[in-house]
Amino acid sequence: MQPGGATQAAPAEMAARASGGRAGGGDARRVVVSGLGAVSGFGWGVEALWQGLRAGATAIRPFSRFDHAAHRTHLAAEVPARPPAPVPFAAQPEGRLLSLADRFALAAAGEALTAAGLGEALGLLPEGAAGVFFGSSTGGMWESELFVAGLFGGRRGALRAVASQQVNGPGDAVARGFGVTGPVQTVSSACASGALAIAAALASLRCGEVEVALAGGSDSLCQLTYAGFNSLRSVDEAPCRPFRAGRAGMSIGEGAAVLVLEPLERVLARGALPLAELAGAGGACDAFHMTAPEPEGTGAAAAIAAALGDAGLAAGEIDFVNAHATGTPLNDAAEWRALRRVFGERAGRIPVTATKAALGHLLGCSGAIEALVTVLSLARGELHPVPADAADPIDDACPAALVIGRPLAVPAARAGLSTSLAFGGSNAALVFTRWTGAAP
Amino acid sequence: MSDVAHAADTAGTAETAGTADTSDTAHPADSAVLAMIAGRVKRLIVDNLHLEGLRPEMIDEEAPLFGEGLGLDSVDALELVVAVEKEFAIKIKSNEIGRDVFSSVASLSRFIAGRV
Amino acid sequence: MNREVVITALGTAGAHGCGRASLERALAAGAPPPATEVDRAAGYHQPEGARRALITPVAALAPWLPPAEARRMGPPSRLAVAATRMALAEAGLDPARLAGPGTAVVVSTAFGPTSFSEALLRQVLQDGPESASPYLFTECVANAPAAQIAIACGARGVNVTLCQREAGALLAVARGAAEVAAGRAERALVGAVDEMSPLLHAMLDRFGALARGRSRPVRGARRPDEGGEIGRPFDRRRDGVVAADGATVLLLETAAAAARHGREPLARIRGWGSAFDPAAPPTGWGASGEQLGRALRRLLLRCGAAPGGASPGGLGALDPPASVSGGPPGASSPPGASGLLGASGLLGSIGAIDRIVSGASGARAGDRLEARVLRAAWGEAALPPVLAPKGVTGEYGGGFLAAAVLAAAGVAGVACAPTAGFGEPDPDLGVSPHDGRPLPPPRALLASSLAAGGAACWLILGRP
Repeated sequence: MQPGGATQAAPAEMAARASGGRAGGGDARRVVVSGLGAVSGFGWGVEALWQGLRAGATAIRPFSRFDHAAHRTHLAAEVPARPPAPVPFAAQPEGRLLSLADRFALAAAGEALTAAGLGEALGLLPEGAAGVFFGSSTGGMWESELFVAGLFGGRRGALRAVASQQVNGPGDAVARGFGVTGPVQTVSSACASGALAIAAALASLRCGEVEVALAGGSDSLCQLTYAGFNSLRSVDEAPCRPFRAGRAGMSIGEGAAVLVLEPLERVLARGALPLAELAGAGGACDAFHMTAPEPEGTGAAAAIAAALGDAGLAAGEIDFVNAHATGTPLNDAAEWRALRRVFGERAGRIPVTATKAALGHLLGCSGAIEALVTVLSLARGELHPVPADAADPIDDACPAALVIGRPLAVPAARAGLSTSLAFGGSNAALVFTRWTGAAP
Repeated sequence: MSDVAHAADTAGTAETAGTADTSDTAHPADSAVLAMIAGRVKRLIVDNLHLEGLRPEMIDEEAPLFGEGLGLDSVDALELVVAVEKEFAIKIKSNEIGRDVFSSVASLSRFIAGRV
Repeated sequence: MNREVVITALGTAGAHGCGRASLERALAAGAPPPATEVDRAAGYHQPEGARRALITPVAALAPWLPPAEARRMGPPSRLAVAATRMALAEAGLDPARLAGPGTAVVVSTAFGPTSFSEALLRQVLQDGPESASPYLFTECVANAPAAQIAIACGARGVNVTLCQREAGALLAVARGAAEVAAGRAERALVGAVDEMSPLLHAMLDRFGALARGRSRPVRGARRPDEGGEIGRPFDRRRDGVVAADGATVLLLETAAAAARHGREPLARIRGWGSAFDPAAPPTGWGASGEQLGRALRRLLLRCGAAPGGASPGGLGALDPPASVSGGPPGASSPPGASGLLGASGLLGSIGAIDRIVSGASGARAGDRLEARVLRAAWGEAALPPVLAPKGVTGEYGGGFLAAAVLAAAGVAGVACAPTAGFGEPDPDLGVSPHDGRPLPPPRALLASSLAAGGAACWLILGRP
């Protein structure tokens, strides 16, 4: 495929439009983000997250969740401990049965609902009107490891430790905690989980299945995934350096993110303002290899094209990219190829944020927390930087216009793209647009 | 699918960082020791990579492991790394897992000989 | 866009064997296949606990999995890829025809890759983190089966793995159908897979989920299901499920494409819906069926399949009808209902549901909730015949999904035997499953699944 100029739609995107990839056409309900909640290595809450990101800091540091002396690497973006605080207006049954990932999820969901001005009002919605769409890779694996270690040692262990073991634990906990009676589902497609969950929420809202969606994800550190990614030699000993010449792998993080999604007219009707619009979503699979991305990035490009088609936007209308950007040599190279396919020669000029340099890779939650950062970028007109590292230049082979060192003001940015390129080849992309206050 | 490319990029740094020196002149190992190591490496390949019907004596020490030859890929290489580390009680750094060291049983054996 | 979606291929592997014919035979026989003694060597099991599970014969999968390909696959991936190939073979489809960006994959799994996860944990916790095997880790992710299916078929459309326990299978079908209906995919491989490792089996037993056969075997009993560990859907004596492994994969495509290629559908997908009971504990079912019953009723109303007649509760009461791709803002579509398909994008009234395939499995609380939900949704009207195949298929794996599709396809054997495991009605439930008398092929079938933890998913299948 020949890369086109800025004003020429990339062929992949044209194909997506031609195939009718846009759901619903012109009559589709517009879906907006009305609230955000987050838990990350920078702390509990969206403001802690955003201040850490703006400062160009990284939360990837030595961690204490478990003894990592015998692991191959020793850093992670661990969520700081805080005393358990009851989430307002959440049911708190059987707190002992909650995993850490459940707690992250409940905190993020509570914050998001408060920010959306819903909160108690969620219970006033008609039955079945709210849904939960979550992504997770680990669920309660951390607690289960402790339990299973006991089993290996011949000890019985308390069953409550594994009561919320499955990956659908956090999503279910949110539904239980906030009295959700509509659709509840968890996606576990590795790094694409959060984005695919948000895509499911979008479809559900558009067709009127729900009126409010809590979409997001949650994952917590555990030895299984930490050792597992290290066995693939995918983890950098230093904090990850996406798109840099000396990049040597990913960093692992934990946390949760929740976006409250609603139809535009609902938000306006209660006098609230959308933070951003969720304009489109798309997915595509490499079908190539179980761990390595397809080097030409065609699957990722197809996911991006599908999202653009779904949003009814041309590639030339995207003002920045929140890239998947794990920092592994293979991912960033393949992702760059995908960006070239979609954006042509403009690819090297579109500002790119690499959130994983700050937060680490939240695995199943990553697509959700990066979608949240994309929304913040639009709402606040600013792209966060990765930490400055003068010694490590951008790799010539993937010369993305990475925002480094200082935030980049983008007050006029209208559309942002968030990409997720998963282990196993599942790719997802989301397109958010800035809320400008224009009438629907 | 280019498995050779995968093998080279296993940890991603083979092309950018230095690779381990596998030439004979750097550390002349006794040929009997090398042969013994090669035999153990072949056994590790058979035992750990689940290649149906493969027996150690069928593996040509100089034949490519990746791409052609046995047709292994990057995940096989990493599995072999874990097995080699355990078998020979050595540590292999990520930037040593590359095309040179792992190109054949013979090259891998020379690398191991230089470590034990 | 709102295209009609049909099921044109089905592949299934389980204790009954491989392929739909083997499952049809098991269903027609009205008895589960022989269960396997679960390996207790690791010491996870309690002495008084359940001992058996319905396990797919490993050798039966071999013809579908070339060794070079399968050598690094964990059990769920093997089951899923084999079932996919079975589906394509039964439909006479060349797998190469599926390759491309138009083929989506949606797989559900309740528990994911438990045996490889356990093995990896042993390495990490006992031998040290640096002994972690890349092979094991690669297949330790819930999405491994979906990724392997995509590689096996060159399926480059959206690739989604759902985890929602017993409700996941129908959710996966719904998600795949939504992709095809909306034009985001041309076809979808959808299904469910689970393995049943000794550790998982022991854990389910410790949570009290498994049948232990409190009714002791009766000497001289002629019927093979007397006593022992038996899943008894809706039965007064039920004491838990029989765990199973297996996989079912379906091919979904548009009705137009199926017709163009001369592929006879097994069933049409007419609608789906899902809901959640926040009163359910994380590992069990809630007690009241009222709220989920209302959710089911809203779904049926929206389909024009309300029990007790089409109106006044039927479609005519909703004005205007909302299409899948979104109606005018403020459309009166009731929340909690979901995607519905019709040839032209408007809701086609389904007419009465004349068959139910229930996820009742012998779980004490689960079957009670299922009965209450169905009774609440049907109100005063009589339930249509209720098939409860989990006495044959066990719980987990894809057996329930396959049985539901076969029932919708009108396969005679599915309903011709008395419900396996059922013998004594439970007066507390007010629902008894089908007794085996001949039934005509259904016009509109409701498949119902309630997950431990609170999720519910329903699927409406129409005559092919």
